[in-house]
Amino acid sequence: MMLEGPSFTDLHAVVDEVWTTFLGPEDPLLPALPDTGPGEGVTWSAATSVSGAWNGVVTVEIPDLVAQTATERMLGVAPGEALSTEDVADAVGELVNMIGGNVKSLMPGPSALSLPLVARGTIASPSDLTEVSHLDLTWAGSPLRVSVLARRDAPVHTLDQRESA
Amino acid sequence: MKILVADDSRVMRQIVIRTLRQAGHGGHDIVEAQDGREALDLVRSESPDLVLSDWNMPEMNGIDVLTSLRASGSQVAFGFVTSEGSEEMRTRASQAGAAFLIAKPFTPEAFGEALAGIGL
Repeated sequence: MMLEGPSFTDLHAVVDEVWTTFLGPEDPLLPALPDTGPGEGVTWSAATSVSGAWNGVVTVEIPDLVAQTATERMLGVAPGEALSTEDVADAVGELVNMIGGNVKSLMPGPSALSLPLVARGTIASPSDLTEVSHLDLTWAGSPLRVSVLARRDAPVHTLDQRESA
Repeated sequence: MKILVADDSRVMRQIVIRTLRQAGHGGHDIVEAQDGREALDLVRSESPDLVLSDWNMPEMNGIDVLTSLRASGSQVAFGFVTSEGSEEMRTRASQAGAAFLIAKPFTPEAFGEALAGIGL
């Protein structure tokens, strides 16, 4: 029995659309080696939760270089321009907000999306959440991870959507 | 024309303003609100011609802003720009009086089509 979550294919499509649309098509998202995670060094983490007919959390973990570059491109400023920590946190939060909102739309409703939570470092997942899928990707040579977790008390389905994708 | 852009993310407000420009709507006066309560206040004080609002914001969410505006008699053109583009959300938006819902991530073409749909 698997907890319900978006299919691997759908999650990848959502993340790819967000990245391509707002960060530009010149640096495509590429698959990373499995379970490489966000890598060493300073990491930004962001999470947003969905509550309702489906209960889960979507997280994004990216190294500082990805966070800085993404913020530059989202704000439309020149590479290397000084960025405030608030703007980087804001941009990282918007990335998870867009991915979370689109994941919410893929799952049974009605449900509500939370405001994003952003941290420099890692965010520990509550113990009642179980990972249902994750993507390990590379962007502009840096690793990133997008994960979807579902609550254990949520309705369970026999279909493992990752296998069916 | 005056456009109120309401989003708790400064980064997203900048993206919306840039996308408006890319869609051929760069010559308008822009007013920014960083939460729903400020958006409601600015509609009353600034009298914008169009409100582009996020759905999920602190203080007051976008659908409550729209509901309050319509309850007070305001018929300002109102469109959502939100990460939640499901049919359920589009139906709720339409029933509350929104002219359109643009889902994030969006393109200049999406803005062009939405604004053309209300004659802008």
